[in-house]
Amino acid sequence: MNLTTALARLLIFPGLLFAVPAAWFFLWVERKSVALMQGRIGPPFMQPFYDFIKLLGKSTPPRSGVGGLLMMMWPLLAVSAAAGAVGMLPVLPSSGGFEGDLILLLALLELPSMCVIAAGFSSRSIFGEIGSAREAALSVSYNVVFLLAIVSIAASQHTFRLEALAHLPASPLHWLGVLAILVCLPAKLHINPFSLPNAEQEIYSGPMVEYAGPELAMWELSHGLEWVAATGLVATLAAPHFAAWWLAAMVFVALSFVVVLLLSATAAATARLQIDTTVRFYWQCTLIFAVLAISSALFMRFKS
Amino acid sequence: MNILTMLWRNLWGGSRTLLFPARPKVTKGYRGLVRFDPALCTGCAICRFRCTARAIEFKAAKGEFTWSYDPGQCTFCGRCVEGCKTHALSQDSQCPPVYLTIGALKNSYTVARKPAPKPAAAAPPAAAAPTSIPAQEARNEPA
Repeated sequence: MNLTTALARLLIFPGLLFAVPAAWFFLWVERKSVALMQGRIGPPFMQPFYDFIKLLGKSTPPRSGVGGLLMMMWPLLAVSAAAGAVGMLPVLPSSGGFEGDLILLLALLELPSMCVIAAGFSSRSIFGEIGSAREAALSVSYNVVFLLAIVSIAASQHTFRLEALAHLPASPLHWLGVLAILVCLPAKLHINPFSLPNAEQEIYSGPMVEYAGPELAMWELSHGLEWVAATGLVATLAAPHFAAWWLAAMVFVALSFVVVLLLSATAAATARLQIDTTVRFYWQCTLIFAVLAISSALFMRFKS
Repeated sequence: MNILTMLWRNLWGGSRTLLFPARPKVTKGYRGLVRFDPALCTGCAICRFRCTARAIEFKAAKGEFTWSYDPGQCTFCGRCVEGCKTHALSQDSQCPPVYLTIGALKNSYTVARKPAPKPAAAAPPAAAAPTSIPAQEARNEPA
């Protein structure tokens, strides 16, 4: 991969130029589809963009006793990490050079969640702290499944290179991993039934309660980029390999769109679960996915 | 599975909410904006007295009075309309319009006071009428 290609991937597709409009688009698709499924009209197409611009134009009220720089740092860090994760997705065929690997991608995917936890505790608000504590408990629960599912796919193929993982031949283990990731995505994206860290009615959006103006706009953008990164990860793992870059890009976008619709339907069909129910669900039920995936990976490794 | 059926039906069944500027149908007896008819008003200010939301203001001056109404403060309770003996106040049977500037719907009327009607000349007592009427009976008689 030469410098131009690397820059094009990071800045154009699937990097910033694609990721930011895609983030707003996916946020709109989620809101609109949930509204339609609930018999409402839903927001107009440009609403997430208007929300972002409106928030950018607002001023942040002074917060006494809270580190302003610290509070500003978390959303910026979350946006950078989520944008980096999208830019690293192996959508287009590469020609060598730095591509990043699975460990870096997983770290970047996890960083926004860490920022949310830190932001809630930094805000010194009781609602923020409750939200952060919930997010931390949730993160520990679903990440066991999420990480084991991805790592088991990688371990079975003896590689952590994203390019190689994206072009794996379809196998039961592969689809098991994709299914396990899909089960974790509602918790990762804070949507129903696992939307308890940012529960609007109970804890006033939790960690976001003390945020306003441009900082809140950055959180919204970070959330949208997380949507693109998370659904894009599933899309890259599920998509078949195409040599033509335009076909690969189109399939990536289409599959991401389908995953967004699937998650929206899940969110519309379910209500928010309590924290103990959520943790029990991930520890008791979905751990089965991980155990199956690890055992299959070991089996395939010894077989090969 | 019932919830999935319900979602599917909602998805293709159209929305139950309306897109602006469409408005929902109002029910019979809907209480909307208060309308004022200066021709019927006598300036008794009972409407201002009955308005607990302080949406109606009344300023009396020599030979005229100013009646003003702020729908932004109105709770549309209808007590002013109910208390207006001359039916100078009425209420719309439609939703109030959406307004974008503060006080856009506020209106004010300055009305000249009508000359007070002269009291009618007292009729001479009829010869056949009873000379005394019990006090209780007199109070219950219609005006």
